[in-house]
Amino acid sequence: MIWVAIVGAAIATYLTRSLPFAVMLGGRLPPVARRYLEALPVAIIAALVGPAVVAPAGTLTHGAEPLAAGLVIATVAWRRSLLAGVLVGVVTVALLRMI
Amino acid sequence: MSLLVFAGASQFAMVQLFSQAAPTPVIIASVLFINLRHLLMATSLSAQLRRLPLTRRLFGAFVLTDESFAMATGHFRRGGRSLAYYFTFAIALYVLWNVATVVGIVVGGAIGDPRRFGIDFAITATFIGIVVLAIRHRADVLIAIVAALVAGGLALAGASTVAVITAGAVAPLIAVFLRR
Repeated sequence: MIWVAIVGAAIATYLTRSLPFAVMLGGRLPPVARRYLEALPVAIIAALVGPAVVAPAGTLTHGAEPLAAGLVIATVAWRRSLLAGVLVGVVTVALLRMI
Repeated sequence: MSLLVFAGASQFAMVQLFSQAAPTPVIIASVLFINLRHLLMATSLSAQLRRLPLTRRLFGAFVLTDESFAMATGHFRRGGRSLAYYFTFAIALYVLWNVATVVGIVVGGAIGDPRRFGIDFAITATFIGIVVLAIRHRADVLIAIVAALVAGGLALAGASTVAVITAGAVAPLIAVFLRR
């Protein structure tokens, strides 16, 4: 039974990823659709961040994650470096979770 | 499982459901819901992958994850054109994920709670950085904040399976209605 579930889940996972690639939009898109698609990547990545910051373990944060997120935004905006932002974020969260 | 279902959040959900002896259709439906967000990501990436033949695109779809999507988006937003970036990152992640799965099976019990070291926040911090570097217009800032808050709110309300697809699909509407 476990294997049926795993194969079923594999198919479900693959369908969500492959459908948009298999059915490619042809020709020119209307400007409204283009503006929507241009804004899409930022919205999706920000939407991935939201729950991890507000509700890291499924429950309301104790404050460590929002504070670290603020520091990451400031660091990356200032240094234009992903690595610096990640280091600041991880160290901040680790320290704050110790208290 | 990692070889076939290359999807972190879904795999953790499945382990949880297996331990509760959930019925198979419930497990498959949960995975489908959790992964609906990839419909949006694939749609967003399809403009870049348009140049590839169908077989390559379908392979690219198999290794599409939140992480490879985010890294590729960052790459394209910085003006990058090469698709090798996406494929290299995505395939490396697939290999590492499966190596780490085996390592976890062997020594997992000895590590304890990794959350203590803040490692789980590394991905979140990377995503935040990618968003910051990807901001081009003032509207992008608004869209990012709205998307993060809506998704966070939904997750708090117990709707975490549909939080990302809902917020990700709704927030770009701001760009449609807001002339910049």
